Order: sequence, then C-alpha cells, then structure tokens
Amino acid sequence: MSAELPFASVTELARMIARKEVSPLEVVRAYLERIAARDATLRAYITVCEDSALAGAREAESALVAGRAPGALHGVPIALKDLYDTAGVATTGGSKILADRVPDADATVVRRLREAGAIVLGKLHMVEFAYGPEGLNAHHGAPRNPWDAATERMPGGSSSGSGVAVAAGLAPAALGSDTGGSIRIPASLCGITGLKPTYGRVSRAGVLPLAWSMDHVGPMTRTVGDAALLLRVMAGYDPADASTSVLPVPDYLAALTGDVKGLRVGLLRAFFLESATPDVRAAVERAAAALQSAGAIVDEVALPAVAHVAAGAYAVVASEALAYHTAWLTSRPGDYDPEVRTRLQLGAFVTGAHYVKGQQVRALVRRDVDAALARRDVLLAPATPLTAPRLDERQTTLGDGASDVRSALIRLTRPFNFSGHPACAVPCGFSADGLPIGMQLVGRPFDEATVLRAADAYQRLTDWHTRRPVLA
Amino acid sequence: MDEVFDVETLRRAARVAGFAWTDAELQPLRRAVEASLRLLATLDALPLDAIEPTTQYRIL
Repeated sequence: MSAELPFASVTELARMIARKEVSPLEVVRAYLERIAARDATLRAYITVCEDSALAGAREAESALVAGRAPGALHGVPIALKDLYDTAGVATTGGSKILADRVPDADATVVRRLREAGAIVLGKLHMVEFAYGPEGLNAHHGAPRNPWDAATERMPGGSSSGSGVAVAAGLAPAALGSDTGGSIRIPASLCGITGLKPTYGRVSRAGVLPLAWSMDHVGPMTRTVGDAALLLRVMAGYDPADASTSVLPVPDYLAALTGDVKGLRVGLLRAFFLESATPDVRAAVERAAAALQSAGAIVDEVALPAVAHVAAGAYAVVASEALAYHTAWLTSRPGDYDPEVRTRLQLGAFVTGAHYVKGQQVRALVRRDVDAALARRDVLLAPATPLTAPRLDERQTTLGDGASDVRSALIRLTRPFNFSGHPACAVPCGFSADGLPIGMQLVGRPFDEATVLRAADAYQRLTDWHTRRPVLA
Repeated sequence: MDEVFDVETLRRAARVAGFAWTDAELQPLRRAVEASLRLLATLDALPLDAIEPTTQYRIL
C-alpha cells in the first residue's frame, strides 16, 4: 500500500482516510519517506515540516478514533510554495532577504485548508520573489524537472517546487501562485494539473506579492477533481483581501459530470497554436478533436489584442514589483539573485504614463477575451508553446520564430493574468523526447465550474495525467 | 541608442526614480533598459485614447 500512497490522488486519500482504510500517520510517513529518499536530487522543498506534520497526523488520527466528523481534506498532506505565510514556519519567498522571516499567522487559504483537515508537509522552492518563469533560483539552486532529471531541465516557475513535488510524488497537492503563468507553466512542464482561478476568487491575504493586480493563487494537483476539491475549500470572500468577490462558492465537484456534449470550445490558433512547436501544436489539436468527439462544438477564435500583452503586462508588473521592493533595492541590493535584481531595477525606468497605457491595453485584452467567451463556454490553447527547456537554455525556436526562453514560457499564460479570467492547465501529451505537454482551458470570470468540467471530461477521455516520471 | 542610454543617463533617470545606484550596478542594466524602452515604445504607437484604463479588479 505505502508504495502507491505517494501517487494516490487527494480525493482518494481523503476517502481512504475517512473510511479508515489508511491512517493519516501512514500517509504522512509515506510522503516523508519519499521526500527523504528523493528530494536531495529533486530539490522541491525548502523546508520539510516533519515534526509538525507527524503531530498533525496523530491529531487527525485521534479525531477519527473519537468519531469527530472529518473535514473535506481530513488527514491529507499538502505542500505550499514558500510565499504562503505559515504561522511559526519560515516563509522566505525563495530569497536571502526573507530567509529568517517567520510569520505569526497563516495566510487565509492556508488557514482554510487546515480547517478542512489538511496537514502541511512543508514549504516548496520557488523563483526568488516569484519573479521569473524558468524555475531557477541562484540561492537554492533549481529544482529538477522529474521527467528528465539526468538532462537537468527546467521545472518551470515560479512555482517550481510545487510542480516538481506533485509530479514526483513528494506531495499529493501543492499551492502555487500565478502572476504571468507561474502555476500553469510548471504544471505544463512537469505534466500535472494547475488551476489559476478568476482574479478575486481566492484570497491573496498572507501571500507575498509580486504584482498585486496580476497575482493569483491556486492549486496544483495530479487531477482536475483534486483541483476542484481544493478550490472549494480555498475560494470565497475574505475581508483581509479587498479584491475578493462576495459571490458564493459553488460546489465544483458537482460540476464534474464528464459531459461535454454541446460545450462550445474556442480553439485559439493565431498567436497561441501558431507559436507552438510542432509536438505541442499537434497535441493540442488532438485534444480539441477528442473534446469534439465527445460532443463538444469546437471552432476557432482569435484574441487580436494579445499581441500587445507583452508590453502592457511588462509595464504593470515591473512597476508594481518595483513598488514592493523599493526599500530592499536600496538597503540590500546585493542580497538579490542578480537576474531578479535586474528585473526589479528595470521598473525604475517605466513611467507612470506607460503604466497607465499598460492598464489601457489590459482593458482591450479583457474585452477581447470576454467577446470570445460571449458565444463560447471555454477557450483552448497550449499552456506553454514548448516543453521543458534545459536549465542552461536561453534561446529557443517556436512555431513562429526565435524567442528567448523566458518570453516563450510566459507568452501564452500571461494574457489571462492580465485579463483575470480563470484558466486550468492539464497534461495533453508527450513530446517525441518524452517530455510532458500542457494545454489550458480558459473560462468566463467566476465560471471555474465550467473550466473544471471541461478539463475533467478531458482527463476522463485520456490518461496523460496518470503517467509518472521514472526517477533514477 | 548607446549614445542616449549611457551610464550617466541611467544614473540620472534612476535618481529621479529615487535610486542612487552605482555605475557598477547600472552598467549591466544598459542593454536591458534599451530593450525595455523599445518594448514600452510599442504602447505609444497604439490608438488607446478612447480606452479607459483598468482601475477596478473586482470583476463581480
């Protein structure tokens, strides 16, 4: 049993624990053993909370023995990107600057997960202050993409440890954050599911910011069902985050009917499929055909304003990130990863007028996406236009020409951070060299239920999400 | 572009933004600043006058 536990889904673990088929202690120990055996190579964790996780598992076991009603995640371990505040546990943002920062309180979503019975296994590696999509970190080294650890490929970032931990069976689920794609990029490169909810659906209170108006937090899991389960617990109004919506949180699990008959899917070819490498393009086209075979109505649609997202989003993110980091850039510039410091410093050369023009472009992009979704239920596109690059790779060739790797990785995800629409990345195939390919489904604001329904239906039609990396 | 964005120019711009970065800190920024300003210049070319900027992020 314990050999399979690390790859059981959150849903399966919660069910087995509630039925007393497995104890929380067995589950937590199975993960701790696997982390001890594998993480020296994979480097997913910054902090492993072994003692508190074991204590939490014993408490969860006692509660079950005492007959107390279990929460939705009772006894299920999870791991957190190291920018979620955790009471009494260091929260570093992957930085040297915050290396000794120990929050007094949990982030809102961490508190909600614990209240539902989840047990925190540890804190996960990330790009310093979440500012970069490759998954690299000069202070801690890069986590290794488990699909090709020998070649040392990028895990994707900035939620790099989250992608690696879930893909390699070092956690059944993790939380990430997504400002330009940092949930969906590692999900795509590591072959897992990653959900960026609508802006305002999930509280960011107690989560270190990169750019407040584009930051989203969400779950990274092996199945869409697990993402739905976690979102149900995490979502909802929070007085500590003024951007959260008062809309009620639906039962996302109830939306997972497996039925896509009549679902209107807009395939994004221009800019999205056109920029993908041949393997990625073919995989996403096959996914569209699979959905069509299951009864979905697929057509093609374009988002003309996305061509301006790179400039507009850059103006917004660079300005907001600089505002957050101004004091440290003055007092501790030498403590930053040099590449991250450069990105932050560039914000000093963005004018207020360019920031506002970025926000004007943002209105155009939102209008485009809303228009595309006026007659469709979801949009379909690659999550990343390429599979995991090597750690040292800086330039690449996409379907529409040469690109630096950094721009390539965020190109297809960032439009939906800019627009705020929900987007879910799921695996949809493998390249000729055995690397995962990810696609994303995008929905109307606050309609995560339809996005999850479509993604779950796709996972019922395919087995890409069940594949596991072979670790040396 | 090199004549425009020499270290002295960057130092003055950074000072206006509130940062007293040294030449050693500014030198590696030169190419990146030039690329950044080229990208931002594309915003200037867009017909955005009739577009109200996004100022409210709570969609509902």
